[in-house]
Amino acid sequence: MTAVDVVKASLYLTYSWYKNNRVMLAMSLLWPYLMAFLVLALGSMYGSLSEFTRRMGVSNPVLYMLASSTVAFSSIAILEAAVGFVMYNRWLGTLQYIVLSPVKSKTLIAVAGIPDSMISAVVSVTAVAPAAAYFEGLHGALKAIAVLLLILAGMTPMLAFSVIAAAATLSVREETNVLAFLNPLILLLSGVFYPIEVLPRLLQLASKAVPSKYVIDAAKLVATYTTPEGKLLMLALYPLAALAVAYNLIALAGVDKAVSLAKRRGFE
Amino acid sequence: MQAIVAEDLRKSYTTYLRRGLRREKKVVEALRGVSFEVRYGEVFGLLGPNGAGKTTTVKILATLLLPDSGKATVAGFDVVEQPTEVRSRIGVTLTVEKGFFWKLTGRENLKYFGLLRGLSGSSLDSKVSELLKLTGLEKLGASDKLYEEYSLGMKAKLSLARALLADPPVLMLDEPTLGLDPPSAREVRELLVKLAREEGKAVLVTTHNMWEAEAICDRVAIINQGIIAAVGSVGELKKLAPRRSALKVLLEAPRLDELREAVDWIGEEDGWTAVKVYCEPGEEGEALAGIASLVAKLGGRVHKVEVAEPTLEDVFIELTRERA
Repeated sequence: MTAVDVVKASLYLTYSWYKNNRVMLAMSLLWPYLMAFLVLALGSMYGSLSEFTRRMGVSNPVLYMLASSTVAFSSIAILEAAVGFVMYNRWLGTLQYIVLSPVKSKTLIAVAGIPDSMISAVVSVTAVAPAAAYFEGLHGALKAIAVLLLILAGMTPMLAFSVIAAAATLSVREETNVLAFLNPLILLLSGVFYPIEVLPRLLQLASKAVPSKYVIDAAKLVATYTTPEGKLLMLALYPLAALAVAYNLIALAGVDKAVSLAKRRGFE
Repeated sequence: MQAIVAEDLRKSYTTYLRRGLRREKKVVEALRGVSFEVRYGEVFGLLGPNGAGKTTTVKILATLLLPDSGKATVAGFDVVEQPTEVRSRIGVTLTVEKGFFWKLTGRENLKYFGLLRGLSGSSLDSKVSELLKLTGLEKLGASDKLYEEYSLGMKAKLSLARALLADPPVLMLDEPTLGLDPPSAREVRELLVKLAREEGKAVLVTTHNMWEAEAICDRVAIINQGIIAAVGSVGELKKLAPRRSALKVLLEAPRLDELREAVDWIGEEDGWTAVKVYCEPGEEGEALAGIASLVAKLGGRVHKVEVAEPTLEDVFIELTRERA
């Protein structure tokens, strides 16, 4: 029994869940559009679309918003997959049976959220691909694939970050607070729909520790400019690699402690 | 080799009581030195009232909870030091009314948990089909129904099927028939006995249904307030019954509260109120006269009187009352 078996089981669970909940699948495909149009509609109340386009330096504001929404959705999905794995399974009463599988509990916590996160990313990129193709043809479709690859690359630190959050969820009694606090914080600090520079200095500093900020930076470069500059792209990708190392090291120690605390209290 | 060995298991929990703005710390001793053994090929009952420590014991044996002290082995492996080895040799049900994914069918749920046990491919498919048949879910047409549409009986059967997925030599089932209708409970009980007798599995069952324990358990441990009060076969435990006569009276009485205070046990049988009164040998007549006059005073009537054989319930009441 290895981590691969856990991934296979999680893949099967996600597949079966989507198969039996097609409305949910449809909603996942619609979500980036709803989000993008909501922000555009709100924005148009305060200024013109052309002004926004000029100030943000993007070629197509609709595509820009769709790409941003996709990355935001994926970042939250990663967090939901890891933290939600602990939380929702505790609510359903399935956590203790999952923990009973003959694999180390820390391995379970670490890898069980991976398939769900990947599928969520694929679903949301698939959702915006037709719009990208409509606006920019084959070039747009290729951009969508590039955004997906960036999201997947950004998953390494984001997953480790999420595993730390999952470990915290395992250790605390009032688990809903973890997601309720982290989801808006991640959205706030990632600069999904606005430049990070508009945030107060303290929050700008904090945003440097949030992996999705760099994924969003890179995804914006790819999705909104005709030919993103290699140097700029690397500026976003290097911190991602550094955060991946840091968060994975913290996660390794944190999960062990959280599992032993949970075992002292008892898995529910 | 014994299937399960528990030696002096102790466990306490810290709980916090809110008193206004203050939180008061309270330590609850759930287990205060629990020891027993379970053999292969037997159904072993862990009997106790609510809060006696049954679920805590099962959770420790299933590696879901660490004991404060003491030692336990399952299939020869230490539950604290070798949890992964223990988990690959046990099947567990903790609550029958939940523990599955609502938006998955029974078959899909079993396949998911099978994959988590390392099963895959056609062997997983055939095992799942076999268990759906064995537990009667296939016959009920429930295999491909969503779990959210399951009745409690179906949920209990699916729980049992999950426990059997990896064909484990040791089963730990926490109140497996709780809330089931009589036919479903009977099917589950028959299956447990079959698994122990024909397949040589060790089956640890917790319950507070005395009749059920008497019907299916080869040996029983009575646990109360975190301590094992007695262990042995049902016959051996019956010898611990109070050396007193037990009068069982079936009656009709409009007010049970006053009656409840005057008798040792009250229940229902064949639509009548059944009461039990323990008395010294030779004093049965006096005891019966007392009950009869009380029933008459309450405006009821006595239907039938018999001198009852000691039951496991008598032992249970005696042992749990002693410590209460």
